[in-house]
Amino acid sequence: MDGNLEGLMAGYQAGDLAAARSLIDRLSPQLHRFFDAQSRNPADADDLLQDAWLRIHRARHTYRRGKPVLPWIYAIARRVRVDRYRRSVRTTIHERRWEQAADEVSASPAETPRAEDLEALLAPLSESQREVLEMLKVAGMSLEEVARATSCSVGSVKQKVHRAYEKLRQTMSLPELKRSGAIP
Amino acid sequence: MRDEEIDEALDKAARVRREVPAELLNRIADAIEPTLQPVRALPPTWVLASGLILISAAVALLGAARAGFQGVEALSLPARLSIFGALTFLACVAAVHLVGEWIPGSPRRLSPGGLLAMASVTLLGVFALLFQDYRIEPFVFAGVTCLATGLLHAVAAALLGWWWLRRGWALNSVSAGLTAGVLGGLAGVTVLELHCTDFQALHILVWHTLVVPASGTVGAFAGWVLRQR
Repeated sequence: MDGNLEGLMAGYQAGDLAAARSLIDRLSPQLHRFFDAQSRNPADADDLLQDAWLRIHRARHTYRRGKPVLPWIYAIARRVRVDRYRRSVRTTIHERRWEQAADEVSASPAETPRAEDLEALLAPLSESQREVLEMLKVAGMSLEEVARATSCSVGSVKQKVHRAYEKLRQTMSLPELKRSGAIP
Repeated sequence: MRDEEIDEALDKAARVRREVPAELLNRIADAIEPTLQPVRALPPTWVLASGLILISAAVALLGAARAGFQGVEALSLPARLSIFGALTFLACVAAVHLVGEWIPGSPRRLSPGGLLAMASVTLLGVFALLFQDYRIEPFVFAGVTCLATGLLHAVAAALLGWWWLRRGWALNSVSAGLTAGVLGGLAGVTVLELHCTDFQALHILVWHTLVVPASGTVGAFAGWVLRQR
């Protein structure tokens, strides 16, 4: 899949409108899902998607031909989300603080899990664990690609996945989820 | 519950496709269409990193040419090789890292904080091995002069590096600023090693090495200020 994306990205850089449209059509569903999983508000996800594409458009010359497209796209998308989060809380909060906060489990009683979808399964996880699993499962990225997109090492990604699975092992054993059919 | 079962559940849920409204996709395409022109791709990483190293070297040499090369002339050959070898190595690492900060999705083997720690510890190690004179006179005045000289050149090198990479796209301006500060700081230390003839161990360990974290801090702060705009 990524091989085709590279061709489309090259066309996009060359100013080909059809390539740009194909890229938007192909990647928007998974990017929208990526934003939706974090914001849980469809209108926010729409705004974030538009913002992400505008930034991708302005930064398109920084894509290196022949390199995987998804880490480049998701690195920008992730930054869009971080910036939005920062603006929505307080503009002066330092990023490190956000990343620390992101490591805390974010499940709250108000966020009722939708048992039929991925977001419901990932709801008990921290933001950083969720984004890693979204990239691995929805975008189909490799650990190396996720590491590039999140600006961290492969070891760090593996650790997040391991912790996420430990957490999921606990939550997915809950009888309610089994009864709802979300898990085998 | 086994990992395979969790995998299966996640894969099953991930396969459920969610469509994005067509009008939203059209709106995005319409927004980018007016400015959709061919773009010139960035040069390869090695070209950008080499440019950064040359800029840093030029700033260091010009600074030392203005102040004088007394420091390097008074050093022994092994000391010259150790100090400038370490500075060159660290500048290469910092330059590649800085280029990565300006290109989204670049692989990262070291965090900006890790780079700062590596540069500071390496310099401390090299200086501690080479300089054994532990007198401290005059400590503060000479030290502040060296720190100010180093920082001045560090800021110049960092700003020129920022200009060199201006076509890039720094996702995190604080990290990019910190990394640019570290690279500039290494140029500042190079000026001091070329010029300064004060070989007291504590002077070099404290004031010369301090240029790197101080410059990194200034760079990170500048990045933070830019982000607030």
